[in-house]
Amino acid sequence: MATATQTARRVRIKPNYETIAWKWMRYSAFAMIPLVWGHMILQDVIVGVHRIDLDYVAMRWASLFWRIYDTLLLGFAFAHGVNGLRQVLNDFIHADRARKIINWLLFLFWLIITLIGGAALIGGVNQPFPLS
Amino acid sequence: MSDLRTTLVGYVTYRGREGHWSFLLHRITGLGVVLFLTIHIIDIAFVYFNPTLFMKAIEIYRSTLFGIGEIFLVFCVFYHGVNGLRIAYLDLFKPQGWHIESQRRSARWTLGIALILWLPSALWMLRNLLMHNYGFFGG
Repeated sequence: MATATQTARRVRIKPNYETIAWKWMRYSAFAMIPLVWGHMILQDVIVGVHRIDLDYVAMRWASLFWRIYDTLLLGFAFAHGVNGLRQVLNDFIHADRARKIINWLLFLFWLIITLIGGAALIGGVNQPFPLS
Repeated sequence: MSDLRTTLVGYVTYRGREGHWSFLLHRITGLGVVLFLTIHIIDIAFVYFNPTLFMKAIEIYRSTLFGIGEIFLVFCVFYHGVNGLRIAYLDLFKPQGWHIESQRRSARWTLGIALILWLPSALWMLRNLLMHNYGFFGG
């Protein structure tokens, strides 16, 4: 075999939307390990669904810390999830036009659900105290 | 439609061993989590928009069927998290680490770690379920 000289060449590619989404999936993973695991271990395992009711949510959201925590969860996890869904759908849908439609639909889906969740986070438990 | 078939057949018949299995598990667990997450954001939003409906949702979550689903959900979150860390670490900081041999090893480790994290949680949730729904352990 003839000897070949290897030359490395650095190429700068302007980041586009897909690059940002690719990085987002990975960096948000690091943020979500403590956020999501902490939330899940606390609510599903330690507290448990049988002890969760309106009183519990009201008590939890009385603390600004938990409201900020939940805001971070909503922001990181749902955007990560919807973009993941988009990646899966892109495996099945290859036409440019169809992908464009899917992108818009998923964006609207993400926006609407995030706004609904955000409204609840700001509004809190909608019942006068003491809770019955 | 042929795209759908081709992709699905590829998902099933591709023989990539550990890499292939972890790809499938990552997808299945991810889709499961995002499905629950969507429902969960809406049910929590009920505390503001319709508190009565929130308690109805909680009642459904307390049923045995959903309790079992919850135990699987926790596995999905653990597996997706550990495997996601593996992907993120390799992609961002050590792309030369995507060797087939080391990947096979790390894919096995990933499943092992996820199972070890999941088992204590699963047992505790099962205990809670048996206690509240069936009166075991003095419930």
